[in-house]
Amino acid sequence: MPTTADDHPAGTTNGPGRDPVVEAHGIYKTFPGVVANADVDLRLERGEVHALLGENGAGKSTLASVLTGLYQPDAGEIRLDGRPVVLRSPREALAHGIGMVHQHFKLVKRFTVAENVALGDRTQPILMSAPDVHRSVVELSERYGLPVRPDAVVGDLTVGEQQRVEIVKTLYRGVDVLLLDEPTSVLTPQETEALFDTVRAMAADGKAVVFISHKLHEVLSIADTITVMRDGGIAGNVDAADTSVRELAQLMVGREVMMEAPGGDGQAGEVVLELDDVSVDERSRRGRLDQLSMTVRAGEVVGIAGVSGNGQRPLAEVAAGLIEPDRGRVRVNGRDVTGRPRAARKAGLSYVPEDRIGTGLASSLSVAENLQLTRAHRPLLDRGRWSTDARRLMEEFDIRAPGPSTTTSSLSGGNIQKVLLARELAADPDVIVAASPTRGLDVGAIEFVRQLLAQRREQGCGVLLISEDLDEIRALSDRILVLYEGRIVHECAAEDSDVTELGLAMAGAGS
Amino acid sequence: MLGLERRSDVPAWIYVAVPVIAVLLALAVGAVFLVFTGHDPLTVYRVMIQASFASTFGFADTLVSATPLILTGLAALVSFRVKLWNIGAEGQLYIGAVCASGIALLIGESLPGWANILMMLAAGAFGGMLFILIPAIARAWLRTNEIITTLLLNSVALLFINWLIFGSRSFWRDPAAGQFPQGLRIPDEAYFPRWGATRVHLGLVIALLAVVAIWFVLNRTRFGFRMKILGDSESAARYAGVPVRLMVVAVLLLSGALAGLAGAADVGGFSRRLDPNSLAIGMGYAGIIVAALSRLNPGSVILVAIMLGGVRNAGTALQSLPERVPMEIAVMLEGAILLFALGSEVLVRYRIHWPWSKGPALDASPEEAEAT
Amino acid sequence: MNETVLAMTLAAAVAAGTPLALAAIGELITERAGILNLGVEGMMLLGAVTTFLVSLATGSPWIGMAAGALAGAGLSAAHAFLTITLRANQIVSGLALVIFGTGLSTFLGRPVEGMPLPRESRLPRMNIQLLQDLPLLGRVLFQQDVVVYGTWVIAALTAFYLFRTRPGLSLRAVGESPATADVMGLRVNTIRYVHTLVGGLLGGGAGAYLMLARVPAWSQAATTNGIGFIAIALVVFASWRPWRALLGALIFGLALRANFALQAAGVTFIPAEFLAMTPYLLTILVLIALSFSDLRRRAGAPEALGVPYAREER
Repeated sequence: MPTTADDHPAGTTNGPGRDPVVEAHGIYKTFPGVVANADVDLRLERGEVHALLGENGAGKSTLASVLTGLYQPDAGEIRLDGRPVVLRSPREALAHGIGMVHQHFKLVKRFTVAENVALGDRTQPILMSAPDVHRSVVELSERYGLPVRPDAVVGDLTVGEQQRVEIVKTLYRGVDVLLLDEPTSVLTPQETEALFDTVRAMAADGKAVVFISHKLHEVLSIADTITVMRDGGIAGNVDAADTSVRELAQLMVGREVMMEAPGGDGQAGEVVLELDDVSVDERSRRGRLDQLSMTVRAGEVVGIAGVSGNGQRPLAEVAAGLIEPDRGRVRVNGRDVTGRPRAARKAGLSYVPEDRIGTGLASSLSVAENLQLTRAHRPLLDRGRWSTDARRLMEEFDIRAPGPSTTTSSLSGGNIQKVLLARELAADPDVIVAASPTRGLDVGAIEFVRQLLAQRREQGCGVLLISEDLDEIRALSDRILVLYEGRIVHECAAEDSDVTELGLAMAGAGS
Repeated sequence: MLGLERRSDVPAWIYVAVPVIAVLLALAVGAVFLVFTGHDPLTVYRVMIQASFASTFGFADTLVSATPLILTGLAALVSFRVKLWNIGAEGQLYIGAVCASGIALLIGESLPGWANILMMLAAGAFGGMLFILIPAIARAWLRTNEIITTLLLNSVALLFINWLIFGSRSFWRDPAAGQFPQGLRIPDEAYFPRWGATRVHLGLVIALLAVVAIWFVLNRTRFGFRMKILGDSESAARYAGVPVRLMVVAVLLLSGALAGLAGAADVGGFSRRLDPNSLAIGMGYAGIIVAALSRLNPGSVILVAIMLGGVRNAGTALQSLPERVPMEIAVMLEGAILLFALGSEVLVRYRIHWPWSKGPALDASPEEAEAT
Repeated sequence: MNETVLAMTLAAAVAAGTPLALAAIGELITERAGILNLGVEGMMLLGAVTTFLVSLATGSPWIGMAAGALAGAGLSAAHAFLTITLRANQIVSGLALVIFGTGLSTFLGRPVEGMPLPRESRLPRMNIQLLQDLPLLGRVLFQQDVVVYGTWVIAALTAFYLFRTRPGLSLRAVGESPATADVMGLRVNTIRYVHTLVGGLLGGGAGAYLMLARVPAWSQAATTNGIGFIAIALVVFASWRPWRALLGALIFGLALRANFALQAAGVTFIPAEFLAMTPYLLTILVLIALSFSDLRRRAGAPEALGVPYAREER
């Protein structure tokens, strides 16, 4: 029987304690071909920050979705304050005081902050009272340190601001349990600190906060309790006070991992990619470029750091010739390829876009077809050769698929990325533009991808690496550029880089 | 509430089951309305089957009805494959007929018959392309919704052919016709050859050739590969260097040309004049049904078109019944078949959890459930 | 053109625009929920023929109208089931509705094709006291039948509902981002069903009104005459806002009546067929004009229009 948010016994009055508010027992959840959760137990207490740690694909998000009613478990039980409940929808979960901030925000872009907050609030009268909602938003944002303007249109806000709206939204609903899914992946180090303050304030207020992450250091610095997931199951449950990065890494992957790519002191050679005074107007809401100039030399990895939405996408697309900039030129190996994607490829450029499915690959096509996607073709196709090519590349790049005619969308995330990389690297490029090439992959695949890039660099290929993952940028790059509002605001050699300095630059507060 | 779960693989029996279920359910709905209006559904359906499939000449007429449907079905198919929605095959067909009959009348007896026929086909295709040109360009460059523009142009085309024949003394109108205006007959040389004593005409051969050609284009050419990429994702197409705008225009023009050919086939093979009454029977809209039921597969277009052609052909046969069953039952059945085909399509894409079943994954396929 | 002719023409335009406005507002409500229903023409036809048959049988235009609206809702229920529950392609399903609705209404209407409705089954005129005496405007706006006024009320209510009420906010959220609406605890599918049905009611009602007030007799070809398709275009034209839909409907009503007005004014060199084309061509022109970038940004279709929503998918 669902209850509404306000007749549920609110946790806010109880203060910090040690009574379990949510217990999950023996949760199983399968998707076609995947066991996402297998016999998972979880126990959350009031006033604690409970981290859910695991690699991508370990089952964290599935468990969170089960706890918030988005998915129904195939087996298992959820108890709230000791009573078994069935959460058939996010609506019922919310009514029971469980809310979640998703990795991909669930916000209506065209609505104002207040409208987003009030959405689905059944305690509101039929004729909405805007002032009431505004007041609540202001009150909550002050209480938990979440500055947002109630009348701003969400689509105009930065990613960090949108995250605050998400948190305010769940707080407004009076949740006792708040799940945050990879909340720091879109934040600068400074914004992350501010988020941690908010999380602590919420815990101090008696709420249980579930912090889902794959970042060991972060988890250690914010959590009270840490539950580690691996392959859909629970790998361990430890007190943050009694553990170490080393132990957590062991639990998380089940073996020692070498996260750093084999670096080297490759000497940078000729300029292979040059962007000269490039400007792009804001066409979509994905950022712009403002008179940006930069070069990538043969045998070096140039890392572009920055908070998403600061021009990463136009930068990658301009470099690949996919968008014609309003001004400025792009040269690959000295040849002008501005706005001409096929010319850019011909001159020796390969591009690994951020959106693998839907841009880098046409997922409804076969593996063999996707391996030919960016090749030049004669009017009549030679499909026999495609299939031989595909077999060769599948072996070379260790793509696990039943055969060349397998539909690409049926592959796992790691194998999908391998198809993309196989095609782009098989073209034997002189420059690789790679946007978030490891995002969402499991540890094994991340290692594989990083090694591939490092290996190409050794062979004298120039790499432009665009990523929001600062650790990845620092691990792989020779040179780091920070992109802020379409401009390069900071440049340093990777070995001299300093997180605080990079973070300030990413926030636009650099020197 | 019905639960749906996406299938990872589709058992073969489902591909047969979907159209069969759709037709049976449509016939059941039709029966309800027939009973409601005082007709005996069994008699009606028996007459329909006899008229369309049980005799040589009946089946020949079914093929005649199927001919334009194959072409309009292909027209819808090529555009739907790239997620462009040309709903205007109806109007493109009319304009194709206008151009085909126009050229046949212009050429008159000055060219041998085969040349005249070729010119008619070319003119038909041209007419169809011409009529989709503006929606195509607007879609490619301005992203103007092609569904609405092509849909509205159907009404414009209908008014236009009505004006040519009924509203003016145009080149297409027979000046000798008195009280009942009609189109001017095209010269005998331009008649499409027919097969024996039946009314099956050259148009069927052209339609079948078009099926083969479209299959070839889709599967063996760069153009087809680009269509496939574009149909998956515009962003992937742009990334892969596909000239997206030109492709959008080209695909829509191809679609229009196929619809226009259907118009030429009607003029040369069936009415032998520009005849609004013979053209405006929803052949373009029916093409959308054909494409949807064929699951955008060129080969299946032929079978589906013959089935629908049979239904349409049977509609006329009903007039001969003593109780005068309205022939519109055929149109209604068409619509119902499409509705049910869409509904049963769910079997292909998803496993179904029925509301009364408890627990996980009640499989829609018994074989598979045993296997796992 | 003297004032009487002008007043008559405008009054006729207001009346001619009314079914268009009803159907367009219905479609607008449906589309706001993210469901595209191209089957308006089919719903109108079925609504019209049902109204005719029921009015004839009962002698009451009101019962007829209710029946017509329900028939439209019935068809839209099929669309809702196919596209929401079964996640079928909305474009194809909508067109199936047109074909099925055309076939069924012609089939049902065959015995009465061309038969006029008796006078008592038609809608009476209802003049508004005081306002009807206004110069020009009184004649144009306030000497109409009750459905005309009702349509204005519906437009006002729809605008109020969409932008001022909690269910309206929910509706817009479902059309913009069903995933958000879902996690915020809204019943996405229920909301989509309800508003698809409301769209059907209004579509059927538009057909009913055509039958009771606009056309002299039932005839499949002549009753709706493509108005259902114009209504769909009108929603884009109105950028999903009820008042603009009403205004647009009046403009198109004028275009629909231009025929008679021009003939009355002695203009005969333009053939009737070409005049009849103008609403369609005008709509296409407007759509193309609206596609130019700066206008497009302000127009803005609901983000999730035409996209089925499935929660448990990955």
